[in-house]
Amino acid sequence: MNLPRINLVVIGHKDHGKSTLIGRLLYDSNAIPEQKLQEVEAELKKAGDEGFRFAFLLDTLEEERRGGLTIDIMQTPFKSKKHLYTIIDCPGHREFIKKMFTGASQADAALLVVSAKEGIQDQTKQHAFLIRTLGIEQLIVAVNKMDEANYEAARFKEICNELLPILNSLDYRVPAIVPLSALKGENVFNRTQKMPWYRGSSLIETLDRTVRSSASPIDKPLRACVQDVYKLESKKVVVCKILTGILEEGEIVNFDPSGEEGLVTGIEMFGKEIERAGPGDSVGLIVNKLREAKRGEVVSYPQNRAKVVRSFVAEMVLFSNIEVRNGDVLIIRCGTAENKCKVQKILERIDPINLTVNAKSPEVLKSGDVGKILFSPLQPMCIEKYSEFPELGRFVVEGKRGTAAAGIVLETHAAGAE
Amino acid sequence: MSRPNIGDEYLGGLEKKSIAILREAKAQFSNPAALWSTGKDSTATLWLCKKAFFGKIPFPIIHIDTGCKFPEIYEFRDKLAKEWGFHLIIAKNVEAMKRGVSPEKDRFQCCTLLKTKALKNLLEKEKFDALILAIRRDEHGIRAKERYYSPRDVDFKWNYEDQPAEMWDLYVKPSEDFSHMRIHPILHWTELNVWQYVKQERLPVNPLYFANKGKRYRSLGCQPCTVPIPSNAQTIDEIVKELETSKIPERAGRAQDKEKAYMMQKLRSLGYM
Repeated sequence: MNLPRINLVVIGHKDHGKSTLIGRLLYDSNAIPEQKLQEVEAELKKAGDEGFRFAFLLDTLEEERRGGLTIDIMQTPFKSKKHLYTIIDCPGHREFIKKMFTGASQADAALLVVSAKEGIQDQTKQHAFLIRTLGIEQLIVAVNKMDEANYEAARFKEICNELLPILNSLDYRVPAIVPLSALKGENVFNRTQKMPWYRGSSLIETLDRTVRSSASPIDKPLRACVQDVYKLESKKVVVCKILTGILEEGEIVNFDPSGEEGLVTGIEMFGKEIERAGPGDSVGLIVNKLREAKRGEVVSYPQNRAKVVRSFVAEMVLFSNIEVRNGDVLIIRCGTAENKCKVQKILERIDPINLTVNAKSPEVLKSGDVGKILFSPLQPMCIEKYSEFPELGRFVVEGKRGTAAAGIVLETHAAGAE
Repeated sequence: MSRPNIGDEYLGGLEKKSIAILREAKAQFSNPAALWSTGKDSTATLWLCKKAFFGKIPFPIIHIDTGCKFPEIYEFRDKLAKEWGFHLIIAKNVEAMKRGVSPEKDRFQCCTLLKTKALKNLLEKEKFDALILAIRRDEHGIRAKERYYSPRDVDFKWNYEDQPAEMWDLYVKPSEDFSHMRIHPILHWTELNVWQYVKQERLPVNPLYFANKGKRYRSLGCQPCTVPIPSNAQTIDEIVKELETSKIPERAGRAQDKEKAYMMQKLRSLGYM
């Protein structure tokens, strides 16, 4: 049977035991083939290491194992009774924000690991803030290394008291917090007798109970983006990816920002015609009287039409090798569109560790910064608020070598409106 | 309102994502091509290409021939190419083959010359800017580090330590800094999913995958470096059943995968698939 899939990103300060916890989850769920275990054990023996290190199951690169740190994100599946989890491991080092974002952008939920020994550190707060910025709404906390804190209830409570106000300020209202030891396998899959003061469930039970895969946005108004236009024999097929809502045959649709309109006379998939298509489907539309549909257009119904914006405000995270100043023109990709947008004004720079605005109207944003920016597109562009249409409310900034920044749209100002 | 579906909803979800990725690739790159080993994964990927482009694959299909593949591979390849009617290009490093490069002497060098170099030579000639490959994350630890879009430099090198960000489904664009892009449309599938899909779509598969005298091939490579696993699975259903309980890694029979020497990591960083 195929279980529902959950993508779970694991975040937290470096050395708080993320890789060990993931290794433990994989080990206890029997996700690791016997032969692989033997190979890893042999490798450890050769390296002169004593005992079994769970992180080794995950860190597959030679330099990761030798250096004992994770260099790049890793996606590994494991099963519980209820879900097929794909666990996304991210490096905890500060310069690796773009890697963490790469991992987190695929996640349904986040697992924040905090060491009971070291307590809450800068990256604990920063990572929680960043995944909130990315729009991840589900968060579970694992207080790890309880074995190194003598399994003390007081220490666990202390961490909870410090952590909860931070998470609450990020709108994580009542996150589940599980005390555990990944190394010893206590409260991960199996409950432990070592912490009789804790009456809650193990980590896996907590995940199974609380985490949901992202709901398909079937009830929202239609939005689809045009990927390409194919000529098949005499037919022109507009290939669209449906983001939200249902696209139905026989309906009039708009293509924006070009403003074209047409009647959907057919929805085609290979070898068959269908009457309607939903979120995630990539389908071919046959549209009556369409003059010039092209990649980048947004498809919607006239009664709730995609808006062409005059300007928009976004929260943006800058990756490597980029600086943003007032007046700069950035290439912004959203959906399948690509537009030049002017930085009208940098409104704020946000301190991702103290979670406060640390500069109003700063001159410049640099690599690693998070800022709020007012953009104005230099040509007609459709973009939406993230809270309404996530897929059209998020964007990347094109840099010299790939994506240089990522943003979430907080507000939009429609063209023509004041 | 009922939700539109393609077969099983779960497999349908995997398929949709793959098809959308293939269409993005076609829209963003001017000269793509797909790699086909004739194995189950790349055959399923070709089928996805057929679906994405309404029956006719609009780019060439490359088969890397080391000269030491199983006879069943060549037979299956030529038959399917004819049936599905795609443009097949065979990549061979004839010079190295003539020199007698073989795994007995040096396995690492053999893989690099007969596979990676053969592909490199073809790319230089045909100027492909994107290569579609059927690798999956669950196959091997080093493949789990891959992105859907993975740029390669002129030397084919994979800079796994500094890969560009891949946010949501806004994949990296072509750039002058990259010699070509590796595109991995089934990265999120598992071995089991592929077999379930083969069954659902009634796809043809190489007979080597089915048990013969208590053994079957679970992953197909070159004859000298691939060994069969003990198995009695003679049908796709039996393979699916076997995989649901198996404790043996998929590529156990593939010599170049041995973790101990980090051989796969080294091969892949040089442009191996």
